[in-house]
Amino acid sequence: MSIHTDGNAIAGVLEEIFGVEVTATMRVCQSCGQEHAIGAHRLYRGAGLVLRCPNCGDIAAAVATKQDEYRVKLFGTWSEELV
Amino acid sequence: MPPISRGFRGRRQTEVDPSRLPPGQYATNDFPVLSAGPTPHTSLDEWSFTVGGAVGDAKSWTWEEFVAMPSEVVTRDIHCVTKWSKLDTTWTGVSVETLLDGLETSAEFVTAWCDGGYTTNLPLADVVDGKGWVAYEYAGEPLDPEHGGPARLLVPHLYFWKSAKWVRGINLAEQDEPGFWESYGYHNYGDPWKEQRYWSD
Amino acid sequence: MRVETPQAKTLVLDVPDWPGHLPGQHVDVRLTAEDGYQSERSYSIASAPGTADLELTVERIDDGEVSPWLTEEAQPGDQFELRGPVGGYFVWDATLEGPVLLVAGGSGLVPLMAILRHHENTGSSADLRLLLSARALEDVLYRSELERFRDVVHLTLTREQPPPEWNGWSRRIDADMLRDVGPGADQHPHVYVCGPTPFVEEAARLLVELGHLPAAVHTERFGPSGG
Repeated sequence: MSIHTDGNAIAGVLEEIFGVEVTATMRVCQSCGQEHAIGAHRLYRGAGLVLRCPNCGDIAAAVATKQDEYRVKLFGTWSEELV
Repeated sequence: MPPISRGFRGRRQTEVDPSRLPPGQYATNDFPVLSAGPTPHTSLDEWSFTVGGAVGDAKSWTWEEFVAMPSEVVTRDIHCVTKWSKLDTTWTGVSVETLLDGLETSAEFVTAWCDGGYTTNLPLADVVDGKGWVAYEYAGEPLDPEHGGPARLLVPHLYFWKSAKWVRGINLAEQDEPGFWESYGYHNYGDPWKEQRYWSD
Repeated sequence: MRVETPQAKTLVLDVPDWPGHLPGQHVDVRLTAEDGYQSERSYSIASAPGTADLELTVERIDDGEVSPWLTEEAQPGDQFELRGPVGGYFVWDATLEGPVLLVAGGSGLVPLMAILRHHENTGSSADLRLLLSARALEDVLYRSELERFRDVVHLTLTREQPPPEWNGWSRRIDADMLRDVGPGADQHPHVYVCGPTPFVEEAARLLVELGHLPAAVHTERFGPSGG
């Protein structure tokens, strides 16, 4: 069944990439303008990982997952509050 | 060296002729469903296939016209960049060569474009001469939407992300234009026998 | 290893230098075969923070890649890799104010159980309620432990009737059920929904229709790994 999960499923991968936990990071979509937490975004698994806006489905991130190396392309505005 | 999980094997198929598996691949009896986005659902009434770009006049087929084209049944091994391979898969489809019949072009590259927005790029030479088809049946049955139905590109000698699901057309071009995964870190060509998975391979 | 249901077991793990975790978080488990073949899956942490051992509840998936090894092969002394704890969005902590609504579908109960256990351990006075959907009583994880919380647990079974001692229904979750369980949107509860993707999306949709703000409805979808 080709069904998505969500950003929580790649919390570990994203933390390796960014060095910090990002599932609670908010992202404003470049297409529909809605703001949602990364953990609430839809996750698809293809050759690599694709995160999509839960409202409009446009792409939020694409991750190529080599063994311990990643290439990431981000879309929209991701905002992290520095504590 | 990670700790070995005693007795762990996974679900991979073990009685396989190793010469059929490209480097780093494991055989499976399953047919995993992978996708960069949700499954589109295009009715056969709406569906069409178009060959366009650097060809002079574009050619287009409705579904009825498409399945009336001369087709072939081919059995091939397929290899996914996520490391699973599936041997002896059988497909029914129209060869890309047949679709290009009668068209003049100096283009050297094609981009396959699909419902849902997915694209992939290939050299033209890699989809003709018995290397590429637009397939609409798998194992003798209509291709399931999860696996790319109504029709998908089939280019088994390259990693399976090149066999674009939900294909609606191919565009011929003089220039090579990286498609979806090729733009996001995957290899531009994708030969499994040279293990060309990623940007730096 | 503790048997929870015919399909699920809780693994009790000794993790050296475990840094502690928040209820709702999960770990990524990676198994390595002798020839180097690896597979990875995520499992929610069932134990509340502060317990000596880390507990994961794993449901055995027929023809699964990792769960059959974890539930049927693994013996005390066996090893595998663990990454975590991870997750910052799907967490509750006793310092958060306001009521809490937990909505679980099947094995989606695991991370919500960590929240429930943490709520009890901290003596939190937050109004917490759990709505659990399962197929049948025998599939209910932590059943005997949940019996102690029967005043806050609402159970709906899709294949049979719950016994009379439970606050229960026998149907899929719907708006009426969520309204009955409460708290209402006007009380601004923190809502946590976990389970298979179709369950979570339906529950989240119903909750938003009932007036809960989307940002207050935290979701965690379980699904196939995609191979």
